[in-house]
Amino acid sequence: MSLAIAGMGWVTPLGTAIDLVWKRLIAGEEASATTISEEFACRSYTVFRVPESAHVAHARLRRASAISRFAAAAGLSALESGGLKIDATNAERVALIFAISNGGVIYTKRFYRDIVNTGAESASPLLFPETVFNAPASHLAAILGITGVTYTLVGDGAVGLAAVKMAQELMESEPLDYCLVVGTEEIDWLLCDAYRRWRLLRVAPPIEPYGKQNCGMILSEGAGAILLARDGRMLIECAHPGGYFSRRAEAEKLLKHILCDLAQTEIDFVISSANGTFIDVAESHALQRLLPNALVYTVKPALGESVGAAGLWQVILAAEALRRRELPPVLHADSKVPMRLSRSRTPIPDARHAIVLGCGLNQQAAGLRLVCD
Amino acid sequence: MAQADRRESMNDPARVAVTAAGVVSPLGFGLAETLESLQSARDCVSPVMRFSVTECRCKTAGQVSDARLLSSHAQVPRSGRLHRASHMMIEALQELLTQQPEFEPELAVVGTTSGGMSYGERYYRSLQRAGDLRHAATWIANYPAQKPVIDAQAAFGISAPCEVIANACASGTNAIGHAFECVRSGCYQRVLAGGYDAVSEMVFVGFDSLQASTPEKCRPFDQHRSGMVLGEGAAVLAMENLELARRRGAPVLAEIIGYGISTDNFHITQPEPSGSGPRQAMQRALESADISAADVDYINAHGTATLFNDTAEGRAISALFNRVPVSSTKSMMGHSLGAAGAIEAIVCLLALEHQFLPANINFSGLDDDLDLNIVANEARPAVVRTALSNSFGFGGTNASIVMRKFPPSPGLRRTGDA
Repeated sequence: MSLAIAGMGWVTPLGTAIDLVWKRLIAGEEASATTISEEFACRSYTVFRVPESAHVAHARLRRASAISRFAAAAGLSALESGGLKIDATNAERVALIFAISNGGVIYTKRFYRDIVNTGAESASPLLFPETVFNAPASHLAAILGITGVTYTLVGDGAVGLAAVKMAQELMESEPLDYCLVVGTEEIDWLLCDAYRRWRLLRVAPPIEPYGKQNCGMILSEGAGAILLARDGRMLIECAHPGGYFSRRAEAEKLLKHILCDLAQTEIDFVISSANGTFIDVAESHALQRLLPNALVYTVKPALGESVGAAGLWQVILAAEALRRRELPPVLHADSKVPMRLSRSRTPIPDARHAIVLGCGLNQQAAGLRLVCD
Repeated sequence: MAQADRRESMNDPARVAVTAAGVVSPLGFGLAETLESLQSARDCVSPVMRFSVTECRCKTAGQVSDARLLSSHAQVPRSGRLHRASHMMIEALQELLTQQPEFEPELAVVGTTSGGMSYGERYYRSLQRAGDLRHAATWIANYPAQKPVIDAQAAFGISAPCEVIANACASGTNAIGHAFECVRSGCYQRVLAGGYDAVSEMVFVGFDSLQASTPEKCRPFDQHRSGMVLGEGAAVLAMENLELARRRGAPVLAEIIGYGISTDNFHITQPEPSGSGPRQAMQRALESADISAADVDYINAHGTATLFNDTAEGRAISALFNRVPVSSTKSMMGHSLGAAGAIEAIVCLLALEHQFLPANINFSGLDDDLDLNIVANEARPAVVRTALSNSFGFGGTNASIVMRKFPPSPGLRRTGDA
């Protein structure tokens, strides 16, 4: 079953308007790096943050963490661009699916810090509800007045694409007109430290995709949202559920399986999830084997690794590239990388089909194919 | 599945069978122990020893024995590093596969609320106190919510893609409900569904800070109820296209016939007082099952024993049903959050199979504001053809599923029943 993309919205470290961010990507810009530190640790980390000006204000979000604000901004923007107004007549016919990886880590840390420092009696009943994975979804559902299906999916960097697959399953089985899929993530020092201990983080930009050294990624934050409908010109033709890999070395095999299923038609370009880690090797081997002629683009050197939001950003980029018939340049890729990368602003006048590939850092991978009619 | 087949199945939805199940909870390891605990109405709540609760009002939880849990899976690679939640999922899946060794799911849909939270706690404490971080990489690797689902599959050579639903306390029922819709619509033929959660300090203290948990016994719907106690566990169900399951000779334990979901948007932690959200979820589940409220013989309530939940749910039940027997089995094992809906689906499965009503223990008398037929303190034999199970969560998320005895009893047949 194909689903149409009826509206899109995002919040990124390069801005919030689709047009504006696209122009900056086409111009080869990348987000500004900032430093994040923690009071009890001497080590600091470099991240790509969303500017304060991008945070949406709403009474419901008064006590909410950044993750909920990003999600609300992206979701509302996707609805506006799709021209959809939700009211009592259609509130049950719109589903909401959230994709999240680390969740509300800022409030979770703050809540637990109080317990560790001063004991359980000081735990805040106001913070605790915001630590729950589905807090961002419940805020947006309340703002929009959605009364039917609301799901929060949790996973790694592939969770955004898994959420699109879930939307497809829902549209097949429920009497729905629309499904709003939102991926969102916020950064905290704790996350940076955790990824560093896993040897996945680099000290400072740039992210060098597909390099032999796998120097690591830079974390970022934000949200992406797509409004899915039954009819339209920009179609998600096939959403692949993917699977999991037990060891990093097995990621390539899973990606090949996904690509094999999705590349049943001629593919013009691939929006990859390469971020400077082991994922790049797995993706480049799989792509060289199965789609050696497809152009490849990854946005992560420009926007960073936003985990839960990443998949939705990739889908938006694929849709924009198909609509505008061009691809932005892949930043900081070595000239010796043996792939057909979009190394500069690349016109793709006849492009119709694109694959979005999502490989996560915690064992999951998924993919989907878009077609522009 | 071909598009044409799918279109056909949308017009003629597939029936959905449960062909195997596995569970570990404070009630016991496996279906047999769980049945025994349910039939003897055992109180399986015990003092919390895993972390300090001296500053908490509540001191108890329903807990799974580590001694037994962690020794069960020595053969699983790197078993010592896995989180207890992974061990629970492995235990539950092992039981399911013992019943149905040939079950190969195309998709796994599992609910949880907190993944490997206690590993996150250890990591943070060690960081903050400049403690031993030699095992930090292991804690981090085993913290993500999808890890126990992957670990359990990997332990038995299953490789289905995972959808991990985190809809707070409704997660387990949402997972089963979504799996049901996936099989019914023809998207998939075989889905592994369930839920898991392990008690952690952060979540325990969180509910305590909200004053939602009780220092006393858990007394759902009781006039003297004072709050919930937490629980933990894991449960999984093998859900299949009924026709295909029968064709390959698989035993059918029960049918899942309906699913309803609603979002009430009232408050992030409290239900809308009239119970409109739960009522809507139950009504939608009945419509999805194509049955009337009078056809339901038993309701396994969400029944957390908090003032707000039980009032809202009780009102919703009495608005829709006429004196149907109701119990909250959380009174026996605590509230296992993301696992609760899955464990309670298994409670319903056992009630349908063994024809009894599970008890709502610690019950002294009904809340004056409610009009419910509570199965008080003791399980009792009954004709149970259809059961409904409720789960509600933070964020106003409400879910209900309807299960039916298989083969269906005379008098409760829908068009197309065999």
